[in-house]
Amino acid sequence: MLTYLARRIAGMFVVMFLVATVVFVIARVVPGDPAAVMMGAAATADDIAALRARLGLDQPLPLQYVMFLRDVLSGNLGDSIFLNRPVLQALGERAELTFFLTLMSVAIAVAIGVPIGIVSAVKRGTATDQGVIGLAMLAASLPSFWVGLTLIQYLAVELRWFPVAGYGPPDATLGERLRHLVLPAIALGLPNSALILRFTRTAMLDVLHEDYVRTARAKGLGQWVVVLKHALRNAMIPILTVVGLTAAILIAGAIVTETVFGLPGVGNLIVSAVLRRDYPVIQGALLIVSGIYVLINLAVDLLYAVADPRVRY
Amino acid sequence: MHVFGFAKRLIATTAIAAAMLAGAMPAEAQNKVINVATIGEPPTLDPVGVTADLVSIITQHIFETLYTFDGSWKLVPLLASAQPTISADGLIYTIPLRQGVLFHNGKPMTTADVVASLDRWTKVSPRGKQAGAVIAGIAAKGDAVEITLKERFAPLLPLIAMSNGAAAIVPADTIDGANPLKQFIGTGPYKLIEHKPDQFIRVGKFDGYKSPEGPASGYGGHREAKIDEIRFVPVPNASTRVEGILAGQYQFADSLPADMATRFSGQDAVKGIMVRPFGFPLMIMNSKTGVAANQTLRQAVLAALSPSDMLLAGFGNRAFFETEGSIYPKGTAFYDAASVQGYGAADDKKAAELLKKSGYKGEPIRIMTSMQYDFLYKMSLVAQANLEAAGFKVDLQVLDWATLVQRRADDKAWDAFFTFHTFVPEPSLITFMNPAYPGWWDTADKKAALQAFNTEADPAARARKFAEIQKLFYTEVPTIKVGEFYNLAAQSKKLTGYQPTPWPFFWNVDLAN
Repeated sequence: MLTYLARRIAGMFVVMFLVATVVFVIARVVPGDPAAVMMGAAATADDIAALRARLGLDQPLPLQYVMFLRDVLSGNLGDSIFLNRPVLQALGERAELTFFLTLMSVAIAVAIGVPIGIVSAVKRGTATDQGVIGLAMLAASLPSFWVGLTLIQYLAVELRWFPVAGYGPPDATLGERLRHLVLPAIALGLPNSALILRFTRTAMLDVLHEDYVRTARAKGLGQWVVVLKHALRNAMIPILTVVGLTAAILIAGAIVTETVFGLPGVGNLIVSAVLRRDYPVIQGALLIVSGIYVLINLAVDLLYAVADPRVRY
Repeated sequence: MHVFGFAKRLIATTAIAAAMLAGAMPAEAQNKVINVATIGEPPTLDPVGVTADLVSIITQHIFETLYTFDGSWKLVPLLASAQPTISADGLIYTIPLRQGVLFHNGKPMTTADVVASLDRWTKVSPRGKQAGAVIAGIAAKGDAVEITLKERFAPLLPLIAMSNGAAAIVPADTIDGANPLKQFIGTGPYKLIEHKPDQFIRVGKFDGYKSPEGPASGYGGHREAKIDEIRFVPVPNASTRVEGILAGQYQFADSLPADMATRFSGQDAVKGIMVRPFGFPLMIMNSKTGVAANQTLRQAVLAALSPSDMLLAGFGNRAFFETEGSIYPKGTAFYDAASVQGYGAADDKKAAELLKKSGYKGEPIRIMTSMQYDFLYKMSLVAQANLEAAGFKVDLQVLDWATLVQRRADDKAWDAFFTFHTFVPEPSLITFMNPAYPGWWDTADKKAALQAFNTEADPAARARKFAEIQKLFYTEVPTIKVGEFYNLAAQSKKLTGYQPTPWPFFWNVDLAN
């Protein structure tokens, strides 16, 4: 187990080095100049050149790359050009929101996808099953920004159950801030619940025909005890895989949803940074998000052993 | 049993979460607080170095300049106590300062602070650099500040009065050469409380504020912070700004799409506001390099375009635009219809003749546009159709705004680009008047006309001289003004005393219960 873990962690460093290089290159290859964006319409070429020099953007690219890698290795992701603060601090300020938003979205996706997937598998071939599959297709086809705007229109503007946008006033309690995340979490979680639903249904169908399930039924156990206790546990590996993937997808999906709901999360930070060409933020945020993605994958692999005692590392 | 245990825990967790959410209703605010939805996060809170309108909208509550503009766009004193005394040769401006004005740190404003602030402005601000080129010296003289010029320069005071690239007066000890401000201490009716990027900028009433004399008019006259706290909330998505104000989450929402004006009709709590004058879309031509450096070809472009179709495509709602060729709209001092020649011709035949005369050989005209400003993109599509109908070959390059702004600095990379300009009260503040601005309009005739305009102090004579510049604008066609457009904003009906302006401000504005 420890050898496996050490091997995976070493692999993570290689992946992160490649990510850092690709992110640096992509950020610089894309045309656009943070100094020009910052200065505004009336700025002349001389004004922009002076700001570029002050920001260190006039240095040769290889030198900028070496300085970037040196800083990353020492745990410093640099300072944001626009936010006037270290990238790590800017990310830290937004981490709470993105963490809760991802958590709530995954919870919603799992809460909808897993039970309905189980019911659909148990009632395979019935009208219920067909109806559920149809609804899942529909949910998977809905873009999260459209779901977001529709939820805002009806649940926030018409019924006023939830706030339209933002993460609460400065003195907001945690509960109030979480209330601001309900609609975005639904907008993010709903389309992804369809994916979990379909995987759950398929995984359950595979195990429901196994001999041990038939044996459990033959022992006289109730339908739902057989399904939830015997079948579900054995169907957990593919479900865990897709939940892990969904969590990673949701971090990326949050970029659009955070923009629609005006949420100051990591996704919004990345969008603003790309539009403004705030290179340190683009590089730092993508490095951190990639790191989380890799960690989630590692965690899912480790959870396999918990879900299935036959899995050994 | 195991399954039911899990179910129990799930129910308990859900109940706790529900209780947390139920208790999350916002507490009754004791202070008067308003939320203003803005188009995004400002790049900085230092108003001197940048000309972004969003920076001005927020920072004008914190920082003040020596002069500002009243409701008729006339210059009035703000931190100055009166109009300046100008020497007979027009080279020395003596600006008397108001006494007893306090900074937000409690210290009084002194002539040393004003001299240091103006000095920094001439080195850092794009507007200040324009003035700095003709300023020989800035010095304290008793309770006044004396600016000595190398040559007569009439735009000096309008440049000092602008709220973007602003000559903001700050304490001398907060200035660190040309570096951006680290402390945001001004003399305005509101002081900075907290800035959480992408979340909010909070400004609160400054109890030590000393208002200028006289009745409120535009940005001038009496200023009073009636609202205790203003929160500028970045909401980049325009639809979300609309829904947010309809739901009562914001009390003011800026820059909304004109086609959403109908959403505010018949609303009990919210009303739409049209801001006019507001801005004008521009097709900037490259007068320096490439095919568009040919003046006759630029005249062919002007003849081919149909501004009314372009504006209709861009804004949809006819109430929000006007086909107007005069650089300044009706009702302003610099409006002149007589010198507008060739605007709105939409004449394919004339354009084709001019094109032939220019020696055009079918080279693609590279036009840069951006979807980040939807109206610019739609206008550029109509322009492309107009130009192709007249015989041009068009290479429409759709870029994101940051790329367009970078690429336009390279005179070999483009022939024309679409942008827009917010209304400014003084012609010398218009970007394309500056010969260094991309497009590089710098002919001998323009230089002479601009020099004559800039050195003329008499308002009526200045208007006449600006008409001469406009005549050249339509002969040399360095840029094509597409028309006038107006801004849609929305406010809560509880907000009283709000006056629509291109850079919305909230002093003298109150919030009814």
